[in-house]
Amino acid sequence: MMRKSLARAGAAAIVLALSTTALAACTPGEGAESGEPTNITMLVLGDKPTNGRLEAMLEKLNVKLEAEANANLDLFYVEWADWQTQYNTQLLSGDDDIDLITTATDWLFAWENAEKGAFLPLSEEMLQEYAPKTWEQVDAEGHWDLTKLDDGQIYFIPEDNFTQYTNHGFFYRGDWATAAGIPDGTITKFEEFTTYFSWVKQNQPEAYPWDVSGAKDAALIGYLQGHTDGQTIQQISAGNYYPFQTTESDPYTVTSWYMEGDELLEAAELAKEWNEIGVWREDALNYDGDTREEFYAGLSGADQHHTQTFIGSIVDNMTKKQPGSDPKFFYFGQENGNFFNDILTHGAMAVNATSKSPEKALEVYDIIRNDEEAYRLLNWGIEGTDYVITEDGKLGFPEGYDSSTDALGSNFWAGRMDDFELDRVTDAPNKQEIYDELAAAAKDYEYSTLVVNKDLIDPTLAAMGGVLSEYIPQLQYGKFDDPAAAIAEMRQKLEDAGYEDARTAIQTDMDAWADERGLK
Amino acid sequence: MVTQTSVGRHEALPTGSGKAVPTKSRKPLLRRIGDNRTLLLMCLPALAFFIVFSYAPLPGAWIAFTNFNYRDGIFGSPFVGFRNFEFLIKSGQLWLLTKNTILYNVAFIILGNILQIALAIMLNEIRSKYFKKISQAVMFLPYFISVVLIGVIAFNLLNYDTGALNALIQQTGGDPIKIYSIAGAWPIIIIICHLWQSTGYGSIVYFAAIMGIDNSLFEAAAIDGASAWQRIRYVILPSLKPTFIILLLFSLGGIMKGNFGLFWNLVGNNAALFQTTDIIETSVYRMIISQNNFTSSTAVGLYQSLFGFALVMLCNWIVRRINEDYALF
Repeated sequence: MMRKSLARAGAAAIVLALSTTALAACTPGEGAESGEPTNITMLVLGDKPTNGRLEAMLEKLNVKLEAEANANLDLFYVEWADWQTQYNTQLLSGDDDIDLITTATDWLFAWENAEKGAFLPLSEEMLQEYAPKTWEQVDAEGHWDLTKLDDGQIYFIPEDNFTQYTNHGFFYRGDWATAAGIPDGTITKFEEFTTYFSWVKQNQPEAYPWDVSGAKDAALIGYLQGHTDGQTIQQISAGNYYPFQTTESDPYTVTSWYMEGDELLEAAELAKEWNEIGVWREDALNYDGDTREEFYAGLSGADQHHTQTFIGSIVDNMTKKQPGSDPKFFYFGQENGNFFNDILTHGAMAVNATSKSPEKALEVYDIIRNDEEAYRLLNWGIEGTDYVITEDGKLGFPEGYDSSTDALGSNFWAGRMDDFELDRVTDAPNKQEIYDELAAAAKDYEYSTLVVNKDLIDPTLAAMGGVLSEYIPQLQYGKFDDPAAAIAEMRQKLEDAGYEDARTAIQTDMDAWADERGLK
Repeated sequence: MVTQTSVGRHEALPTGSGKAVPTKSRKPLLRRIGDNRTLLLMCLPALAFFIVFSYAPLPGAWIAFTNFNYRDGIFGSPFVGFRNFEFLIKSGQLWLLTKNTILYNVAFIILGNILQIALAIMLNEIRSKYFKKISQAVMFLPYFISVVLIGVIAFNLLNYDTGALNALIQQTGGDPIKIYSIAGAWPIIIIICHLWQSTGYGSIVYFAAIMGIDNSLFEAAAIDGASAWQRIRYVILPSLKPTFIILLLFSLGGIMKGNFGLFWNLVGNNAALFQTTDIIETSVYRMIISQNNFTSSTAVGLYQSLFGFALVMLCNWIVRRINEDYALF
């Protein structure tokens, strides 16, 4: 008796509590055009700056936004610590305070999140009405197709008018490479790093040849890219790994370089050799120091990231902090031309599915992307205090500016425009040469419009991600006594996880996609 | 609950006249709430805690049986039955996690309790008041050190290139050891860290129990000429038995839970050690953090809860069979 009525009372209390919160959430969000300005919150990646410069900039920017769209902009940061989790759980939470979401198909799980319903589908009419300039520019270049799922709807706006190369590779020191006897101090083949690393190990006792931390796969990917014609399908990730490829020679057949061929074993054997030389810390998997700073401090012989980092900060920092170090960049796939131009959705902006004012959000986006004054404010800050334009028209910084403490940190990476960009004083002097060289050899990523239906293979991909996260880091650090046996074991486990089913499912989508375009 | 049982007992009493017992306790609910308002009020925070953190999220376990997406939400996402469990079982992962979790806990519980009791007895035997207080405080301290720090300290002690242990080995002419690659060493390291962290704190309960032992027992033992060892063996240890069993039961309830912070900070993403160090919590965390995989991780979590629930019921049943007074319910 009592238990029943108690339960009923409890249930009533819960319902009451729930409905009050629900009601509280229903406060009017729509600011009428003439009324209060609407607050638009944009999710960006990065550590929230605390030097006050961001707030000062937003204050100025908001005066403009208020006048032009009766809206205010605020930024919400997903900080770098555990950013993958934070990003995905933030989207999962359906927080309706967020309106615009920075995303990317190759590093911010845009396809997964679009499929899971985190983003609002954007109708053409809506884009034409509220983001007309953006619509026109993206449409003129025919890039909307890059942002559609198999339901034919647009889910995000690509940062498609911004030149950058985010192909990865090794940064190393030309002075040390020369001393190691490498001709011209320039490494042209992946295996040449063995010579370089050995020299560093023997002659620079303070430094690790390549100080690297955490579960990485760069050494394997670098080898695979340079020794196969495998082309990774970026739409399909399994955990942090991208296990499905096509090959240039057979571009419409789905395969995996983790499953097929001997190259993975070769890569693993090279990694084992490097591990025995002592290229990285024995306990790299448990180490979590800042290895880039080690490189700047002359305590690491190499560092690994992409072209943009090399041009934007490595050259500048190394020239200042290690004079004469002659920083150089070897990019993966350099020896066989197996690397790609950036996909146009390496940065993209989505509208939150639960946003209370999606139209207003698009209006604001259209301004910060297409209005030069707003663009400069958001990206560079206030002229004179955050940046200066030098006499030769470059973007520079005021006297006494220290990028490590004074950075604006607005991190708007989802709508930058070449038209408004300037060369920076900190750019590598040979930036254009590097770009030209890359542009001449880089391949275009062919599969941007391929949409893979992952509903049925999601659990399989998750299981594969689990297997890969166990084996790949250990292979990359050369930790298995018998890499061949470990690879055989991994392949068996991937088979058990359902690799073949997943591959077949992706192949079906690939066939349909290729047929549609008359490619096969 | 309490009133109900007592009613039951009243009714079971032979009444002689054959009449029903006057239903004294069947007052209206509101009245009874009013009578016990202070008690109920004291219950409220605990009730709120369990409702918010344990019962309210329960329906979310449904995710384990779906192909979850945000648009359709927890209950709208397509139902896939046990598919999320399939690979976990097929790969042997579920078995490995279960085995590791349980073995670690068994070691924690058995070694932990033995050490705690030994420590409490030793503290009790110390005569100098100041020394006793100081020892207690020092042993208590590790409990307040963050596991993040413990992870960092362990790395600085044990790592191959710059670790203190290997420096010592090299100084004495030995070969350094690759501890972070030896899976077999980690159960010992983790158990040592856990005991170091928790023994001082855990011994408090036993120490209090010893303090509570009737002094006349000690006096009688002294008159009988018992040695210190005999006093411990025949007076203190038997008196600690009920406390030990209650604590044991409590810890069995948590046998499917690991000490996540400690494991994660010591091992992290080092896959070379997973075979011996991966427990349910770390695996679930990794699945979400690096694989964005809500369904499998929920599946593992649900399995953990169900298995733990069954285990508690079983233990309680066994204890009840042995001695009803010791059972929790």
